Amino acid sequence: MKSLFCFVFVVFCFTAVLIFTVYLRGANNHIFYMLCTCTAEQSRLKQQLGSKQLRLEGLINPVAVSQRLDEH
Amino acid sequence: MNINGGLSGIESLRQQKIVNSKSKIVSSKSKIVKDKSAGVTILFFALLITAFLLLAVRCFYLQFLKSSHYTALCTKQQQSYHFQKPQRGVILDCRGRVLAASNKSQTIFAEPRIIKRPEITSKQLASIVDISAGQIDKLIRESENPGFVKIKAGADSNQCDAAGKIYGIGVESCWQRYYPVGSLASHILGFSGIDNTGLCGIELQYDKELKGSAGQNIFLADVHRRPICLKQSNICTDGVGLILTIDAAVQQFVRAELSRQCEEFGAESAVAIVAEPRTGAILAMVSLPDFDPADIGRTNPNNLRNRAISDQFEPGSILKPVVAAIALDTGVLGQNEKIFCERGHYSGKGFGHIGEYGGHEFGDLTIREILTVSSNIGMAKIGRRIGKKQLYKGLSLFGFGRQTGIDLPGEAEGLLRPADSWTGYSRTRIPFGQEISVTTIQLIRAFCVLANGGSPVQPFLVSAMVDNEGRIIKLKRPSPAVGFVIKPQVARWIVTEALVDVVNEGTGQKAALEKWQVFGKTGTAQLALSDRKGYSDRDYIASFIAGAPAEAPAVVVLVSIYKPDISLGKGYTGGTVAAPVAARILEKTLNYLEKH
Repeated sequence: MKSLFCFVFVVFCFTAVLIFTVYLRGANNHIFYMLCTCTAEQSRLKQQLGSKQLRLEGLINPVAVSQRLDEH
Repeated sequence: MNINGGLSGIESLRQQKIVNSKSKIVSSKSKIVKDKSAGVTILFFALLITAFLLLAVRCFYLQFLKSSHYTALCTKQQQSYHFQKPQRGVILDCRGRVLAASNKSQTIFAEPRIIKRPEITSKQLASIVDISAGQIDKLIRESENPGFVKIKAGADSNQCDAAGKIYGIGVESCWQRYYPVGSLASHILGFSGIDNTGLCGIELQYDKELKGSAGQNIFLADVHRRPICLKQSNICTDGVGLILTIDAAVQQFVRAELSRQCEEFGAESAVAIVAEPRTGAILAMVSLPDFDPADIGRTNPNNLRNRAISDQFEPGSILKPVVAAIALDTGVLGQNEKIFCERGHYSGKGFGHIGEYGGHEFGDLTIREILTVSSNIGMAKIGRRIGKKQLYKGLSLFGFGRQTGIDLPGEAEGLLRPADSWTGYSRTRIPFGQEISVTTIQLIRAFCVLANGGSPVQPFLVSAMVDNEGRIIKLKRPSPAVGFVIKPQVARWIVTEALVDVVNEGTGQKAALEKWQVFGKTGTAQLALSDRKGYSDRDYIASFIAGAPAEAPAVVVLVSIYKPDISLGKGYTGGTVAAPVAARILEKTLNYLEKH
């Protein structure tokens, strides 16, 4: 009876480890995908910031300022 | 013997026989059955072996003969590729203002071959991109490329998200180069092509550094093509940024002043350079007419030429201080020694006739007076005294006849013929700026040498390279010069005495400033005729080189205005056309540098 218990326990543990491994693998894949998504989003936001910075540069550079001064 | 016993014995024998015969039948039957099952077994095993053999053959076929094909198929299914184009480096002025930068631009496109009903797709897309459905429909139907038709460039992220959900519509992002200052520094910056390659100016000169290197990531993808694991990565390296010596504010003063003067005098083109004589840093470089780097398609190709470094011309009187410095340095002439200027008519065997500009008739003049009144005869006589070998050597040391090495492509060398090929004319004409071709950048370098106490100066435009975070990764300033081109006391005397007199009392009086003591020299060069010998009496290059403050020059300015329109009657000489511009540039620049 005792050996049967041991056998069932070993099988249970083995199965649990397998399931956990599969879960970890899936979680790893998911996290990696999230990382890729966040990197892409960060890159997009950086580009948006760059675009705004360029627009600002277009407004405050010496040529634009001189033009505005000439107009007034 | 008992009869019953005999009978029973017979009976038992018979039964025994029956049993024996029965058992024989059974054994023969079982033998037959055994034989049959052995056959089946053999057949089964034979089939099994055949099946396994076939399987082995198939495995061999798949594993060895078709291996590469299935590996490729498998890889294609499991992997996804992500190509990354590098961001081209930013170009900044010396105060960190952005002169050129790259940013991603989103383009919405359609794939006509997979769009079954363009009218429906067009209607769906029209409300997103603010273009009429009819226009989109026409674009899709009339596209010559079945795989790509551009619908809208520069779309914002909301438009891209919405458009990407429509079947047959895609979003492509690519780097675009922006020049926030427009044509202000077009000849310095140059421009880059659609393939991220520099084609002109700094963009071309530093293309390798600005370009960076492309990268590629290979991912393992899940069933939805989502990346789940990085398999291989070639890192994408963005281009490095450049910090120029140019100051956009100074560049703006120079360009505005030069444009105004060009317009007023109806000039064909003009060039101006502002340099820091101590270091050789170029603060501004303007060549007119210029162009818009963002709109190259509509630019006249002739305007793409940076005249400051590529056009060579006979400098005229502006070269006189350099020759005077060589004369004093070699000791063929004393500072107070007088030279008889032949009352305006100097001729002799081997060098023809030389006259003075404006028909002046000068008598005895010192070298200082010769420069102040810009006497050609005085300079011709100085040239004869120096001798052709010394004069050639001196001009070569000042950098004439070879490139300055400024970090821009397309620089001309100018023309300074070897002394062996000089005639009597050369020795008397070169001292007042004929028979020699120079570029504007060569002239500014020569005057930077004078203003720098005779030490050599290397003009440069890029002062440092920076990474994406703005950290300096490499300083590009040329190493400090060693030695002297001319003696420091000679250079100092030319600048603080002779050239100051030119501005205070001589031909460059229009360049005088109240706040600073300016030194300078005018130059009015006649243009050589293209169809016959001699010089045109209508086409001139009016130049003026100036610097201030004379005691410790902070900046040197050179202005050259090409072919001012004589018919306007406003003048054409360096003192009239170029000197006022140089003065205004000097004043604004010095005021600006003082405050910043």
